[in-house]
Amino acid sequence: MEIDKKKCVGCGNCHAICPMGAISLDVDGKSTVDQDKCVECSTCHRVLRNEGYPPWFVGAIRKVLKLLHLQYMAEVDICPTGALTPPDLKWPRSLRAAFSDPTVVHAGTGVGGRGTEEIKTNDVTGRLREGEAGIVIELGRPGTGAHFRDVERVAMALAPLEPHFEPFNPVTQLMVDTETGKMNDEVLDEKVLSAIIEVKTRLENIPDYLHTLEEIQGETDAVFSVGVASRCLPDGSIPHVKWVREAGYTLSSNGKTNLGLGRPLFQEASR
Amino acid sequence: MTNTLHRQGAEEDLKGDYVIFVSMAREINKKGSATKIHEFLRICKKYNPVNIGCSKWGSVLQDDVEFDDLIANLKDGSTSGAVFTDLDTLQKVMAELIEADLGISINVSGLLESVQECCHGNGIERHSVEDSLGFWESQDRLPEREILELNTLCGHGMVSFNLIHKMIDYLKLRRLTPKEAARIMGKCCECAVFNTDRAERLLEKMLES
Repeated sequence: MEIDKKKCVGCGNCHAICPMGAISLDVDGKSTVDQDKCVECSTCHRVLRNEGYPPWFVGAIRKVLKLLHLQYMAEVDICPTGALTPPDLKWPRSLRAAFSDPTVVHAGTGVGGRGTEEIKTNDVTGRLREGEAGIVIELGRPGTGAHFRDVERVAMALAPLEPHFEPFNPVTQLMVDTETGKMNDEVLDEKVLSAIIEVKTRLENIPDYLHTLEEIQGETDAVFSVGVASRCLPDGSIPHVKWVREAGYTLSSNGKTNLGLGRPLFQEASR
Repeated sequence: MTNTLHRQGAEEDLKGDYVIFVSMAREINKKGSATKIHEFLRICKKYNPVNIGCSKWGSVLQDDVEFDDLIANLKDGSTSGAVFTDLDTLQKVMAELIEADLGISINVSGLLESVQECCHGNGIERHSVEDSLGFWESQDRLPEREILELNTLCGHGMVSFNLIHKMIDYLKLRRLTPKEAARIMGKCCECAVFNTDRAERLLEKMLES
């Protein structure tokens, strides 16, 4: 994101809205964006309503109010002068928007948000089948962001377990070698709001993956969220629960349920 | 919507927080899905969700988004969702969606056992489940529990920690009511999964304490 300094009146509303805390007040009294911290999510531009006032008008109001010993405070969800300006993003910076702005659709998967269908369409795709587990590691979430070099570090740590990195996932599509988890060097310094490493393995391998994730803690700067998924058994029970518990981890009481209403329903040969 | 499973909170609070949403598989049933998504949203709207919308056009909490415009502009594959605050309503919505037989994937984020009850109440068995194992690594970078509960109400984490702190400050200064603050936070959530009702209650609780 960029801020048009000719328009900005330094009200500071965009500072709090920014999920990465990338906007602050510059020495000239106007807001400025730290381009390394900014993940191009455009939240500031979308959420703050452009009031469209000319800057001189806001300045005049401020002066009048000051004479009355009052202070100008814009409503919290507006940009008084429409100073926020989304730039034209070039590769590899464009990746920031693809992974951080939920309105942008990932070109490689055709999916918005974090770019993967994972179990949300499992009823029709059969992405996870009987005996298989899906493990999703989302780096940068919640609220901290992540560089792809951290994503690569985690992917490479998991690679010796011989995971199947999901091909219809935008992180996998940035890998130059899915056997090692190595990512394209051009993207490593790019920062995104979050990115999901998605692997498929056999249910009985879940403990190995969780222990490996445990071991690499401390090797990255990024917070990550972990999810485990599987295809339910015919009686509705969840096969991965046993393996997660055996590995010594606690599952939360809430989660995501695919109701199985998609059509055509994926048919497994064994069922 | 991948991340609605990581919503934080005590079980009592989670009892008032169910997100229902549709997803289409690119190579299988995305084509021609716009009318089905339209019907999904129309059914959800009938049961007065606290939030509703789609990731492409935003939520009804946003200044320039009207429900009628939103459904008129739907395209094939628009990931859409709605938020309900009680199980009875969720069960009714689910029943009508099963009856409508839209043929697109429908997911619910919420307490797994409660959602399973709803499935059984409607005569279906759940297909797949994703569980959260919480947040790992560098947890010293995370704020206190209450802030995380509000932040995770948006699946993509668009409600910044700083905004939440600012909203709390404004409540203390009586510049905003909890309802207004919840709506402002909800505007940041493009996919319409932010539960304003729960956010309002959380803010009230924080003010009291």
